[in-house]
Order: sequence, then C-alpha cells, then structure tokens
Amino acid sequence: MNNGGEFRYVIDQNAYIKLILHALKHKTSSVNGVLIGRLSGDVVEITESVPLFHCSQIGLLPPLEIALIMIEEYYSAQGLSIVGYFHANERFDDLELGTVAKNIADHIYRYFPQAAVLLLDNKKLGALRNKKDTAPVMQLYTRDSSRNWNVANRITTKEPSANILLMDFTSSEKWNDIVDFDDHLDDISKDWLNSELFK
Amino acid sequence: MKKSPSIDPHSSLLRVRQSPPCFKNLTVVLRPQLPRQRSSRSQLKVAEISNLKIKMVSKTEESQLQQLENQVENRGGGAWEYLSLVRKLKLRRSDKVLKHGLTILNDPKKRSALGPDEWTLYEQVAIAALDCQCLEVAKDCIKVLQKKFPDSKRVGRLEAMLLEAKGSWAEAEKAYSSLLEDNPLDQVISMRRVAMAKAQGDILGAIEWLNKYLEIFMADHDAWRELAEIYVSLQMYKQAAFCYEELILAQPMIPLYHLAYADVIYTIGGLENLQTAKKYYASTIELTGGKNTRALFGICLCTSAIAQLTKGRNNEDKEISGLAAAALEKDYKQSSSSKLSLLSSTLRSLKIQ
Repeated sequence: MNNGGEFRYVIDQNAYIKLILHALKHKTSSVNGVLIGRLSGDVVEITESVPLFHCSQIGLLPPLEIALIMIEEYYSAQGLSIVGYFHANERFDDLELGTVAKNIADHIYRYFPQAAVLLLDNKKLGALRNKKDTAPVMQLYTRDSSRNWNVANRITTKEPSANILLMDFTSSEKWNDIVDFDDHLDDISKDWLNSELFK
Repeated sequence: MKKSPSIDPHSSLLRVRQSPPCFKNLTVVLRPQLPRQRSSRSQLKVAEISNLKIKMVSKTEESQLQQLENQVENRGGGAWEYLSLVRKLKLRRSDKVLKHGLTILNDPKKRSALGPDEWTLYEQVAIAALDCQCLEVAKDCIKVLQKKFPDSKRVGRLEAMLLEAKGSWAEAEKAYSSLLEDNPLDQVISMRRVAMAKAQGDILGAIEWLNKYLEIFMADHDAWRELAEIYVSLQMYKQAAFCYEELILAQPMIPLYHLAYADVIYTIGGLENLQTAKKYYASTIELTGGKNTRALFGICLCTSAIAQLTKGRNNEDKEISGLAAAALEKDYKQSSSSKLSLLSSTLRSLKIQ
C-alpha cells in the first residue's frame, strides 16, 4: 500500500486563498482549517477548504467535534471528504507543527491516510510582495509509517496564478469577508461555507 | 411542566438583570504576545504592546464601535470619538488607530483642538505604531512625549516597549527591571515581561512570570484568562480548568467562564467530567437565556458521549438533549435555514434524534 510519501498534492486556488485570507484576518492568533477533496490516482486534490477557528481555544474539543461532523456531512453528499488540515501559528517566525495541530492531524489521518497538513509560512507570505513566486506559501507535512509528520515538497496550486490573485485580494482587504466556524457559532446566520466570497 | 427549570432554554426568566456580556463579543485586548503579524505588508516583526487584557465587550459597545469604525473609514468624521472608544474598551485595532490617529496628529489645527488630550493621542498612536511595526512613527511620537514630559515613567515605559518592538529583548528587560525597581507594583510592566517571554517563544517562561504576577495581583481576571488560554494551547487542560474554577468563584454570573470551563472539562474527558461539563453548559444556557449556540451544542455532545460510555441514555439526558436540539433547530430555522438539514443530520449522528 502506498504510504503518504508517494502522493502529490494539488490545491485549488479558491481553497488556498480562503485559508490565507482567514489567517490574515486574524493576524494575532493561531488559526486552523480543514482541507476537503478527493484522491485521484496518485494525486490528492484539495478542492475546498473550510476555515475553522481563530480564538485561543483552538485546543478544545467541543467546537472541533461539531465542526468536523457538520463538514463531513455536508461534503460527503458531494463525494468529497476531509483530506487534510491547515494551521497557522500565532507567532511570525514559528514554523513548528505544534502538538494541538499534530493531534488534530492524527485524527484526520485515521480516516484518510494520505492526509496533508499545511502550515502557513509567514516569511514566504511576506516575501510575495517583492518576489513573484508560484509556489504555495505553506509547508506540507505528510505522515510516515512511524507516526511522524515530515516535511514534504510535493504541493502545488492548481492554477499558477494563485499567488497573484492572493496579492490582489490582500490589497483590497478581502479578508474582511471571510467567515469561519467560530463566527458561525457566535452567529449562526454567518455562512461558514463562504459561498459568496468569490462571486 | 419542566422538571429541571434551569435548563429550559425557552425560559424568559433572565436571572441577570442587564444583558450579560455575550460570549460572542470576546474581544482580545492587547494580547500579551504581539505575535509577529503574518501580513504580506512590510512588517516583519511586531511589538509586544501594552497589557495583556482580554476584555469582554458588551453587544451595545460592539455595535457602537462598528458604527464609528465604518463612519470613520468612509470619511464621515468622528475619528476622535472612535479613538476614544477604542482606548476606553482597550481594544486592539492598531492599523485603524494608526491611520486615523496620524491624520489628526499631522494636522496642526486638529491637534490643537484636542487640548491636553493631544498627549494621550500621541501615546495611543505610538503604541499602535509599535504594533504595526512602524517604528519610525513610534519613535517620533515618543520623542514628542519625551520633550513634553521629561523623566516621565509613562514615557519610560513606551521607550522600553520600543526596544521590545525592535527585538532588543535584553535591553528591554533591563529597562523594565529598572522601571520596576522604582515602582514594583506596576501591573503593566509586569505584564510586559509575560508578553516578551511569549513573543520569544518561551511559553514556559511566560507561564512562570504570569503565575508570579497572579500571586501578587490575584484579582486580575483577565490575567487568569490569559493563563488558562496558554495552558489550553499547551494542552495542559487540568491547569486550565483550575484557572477557570478561580474565575467562576470570583465572578459566577459570567457565562463565558462557565462555557470555557465546560469546554475544557469535556476535552479532558471521562464520565464524571462529562457530567460536570453538562452541568456547566446548562448553567451557561441559563445565564444567557438560551441564546448560546455553543452551549446548546455542548449539551448534545455531552449527552451523546455519556450515552456511549454508559451504554444507554437515561431519561434526564434524553430530556435535556431533546430540549437543546429543539432550541437549536428553532434558531437555525430562523437564522440559518439553509443549514437546517445539516444540523438535523448532525444531531442524528449524535443520536439525539
């Protein structure tokens, strides 16, 4: 059986941008999100993402459980499943995958062994202003058979212009329109699907 | 006739007279650690500014703030009122404060119209500038204040914060220590130490400083909350629970603490903890008049988990979860009808329906 080490990961522009806008909206706290998609041959396609939480209670179970159940219910009707986890650390220069992130990732791994963990790389994000780069500004981790999450280099955005579009959105402060699961729990009229975001 | 009135989410008997600060409006005020902003703008480092105060903002204050913010952003005036409100509520809106504060300060007429408040504004803008890593702006503001108030401890504090923002930790630590020598009971400076530890990634050091701080200032509720949150981020749930217990003892009518405590206790797990969590979710619902979605979900999660552990559902749990589920469905039907079927299938998978 293939281990996570032989799969490529391709993330759709919209899913990618959503996660980063979420991180930019909440600059001063950790944020996380789930990656939704499917396995297609030897490629894991990340077609959607749902930003989850931004409050400091990221390490608590109840909101996470509700979120995962709802998200799983919604997307399985479309033939998609949870294929990974996104995390952005609180501090700018912190490029370490923390224990909370690892625990959540382990949980997702149990249901999808090719699960990807993406960690936001702030320095790369900052560098996008000055240097054109098509690579995603995230660090990819996959899990090996010895239960460790290792850095891998096999992620690309589906559309090469993803970072350019991201810069556009950044200058127009589009992050104000992002809704995450935390916002939904505080006000259920807010749509965590962000269906109107890119219209 | 409901057997347990305390968990009747439809009860209109609001024990609390005024509307309690909603959990939703938990706005973070000047966190201890000004994490480096992950912006694609220039800032590479961020200053750790001011207090670590996580203030709870009431709904009316929140909407007032939002209104003023929109007004000012759309050039409708009211910048000074906005800045004063941000100052009063101790919120962290550094980019907006910087933008609008500078507009006032750079205009000599507007500046003189402020009178003695001019200096307060300089301080506010300096701090916002530090947060946004606009160190030159901060330096200029501090210089102005230094000229006006030489030998001032308050300005000395700003100078130390500037060192922090630059990342000169050792010098900042020296500056703070000397300020503390003259004034050992200065809360703000003691907090800065915690902030610096956190910013350098020394979370355990931050915990140590915060514990020392709480030994002296044990009535500082925001500090207890900060400590609880740090513990949660390190998954030290038992210690976090202790902090929330202190908070509930000190201020038992604040639903936020009950809710956070329930979340932590649920996360620790185990039958007894699940029962306790259920009680605290119930008290949150009571204190908020049934308006707290998180607590309603919490009840459903608890009863579901308890049923799994005890291999069966007792009648009281069935009743409570039924009530919570009904309240959720009513809310979703009203405010989020597109997600109603999703909610129903979620509740079904928790075996509530």
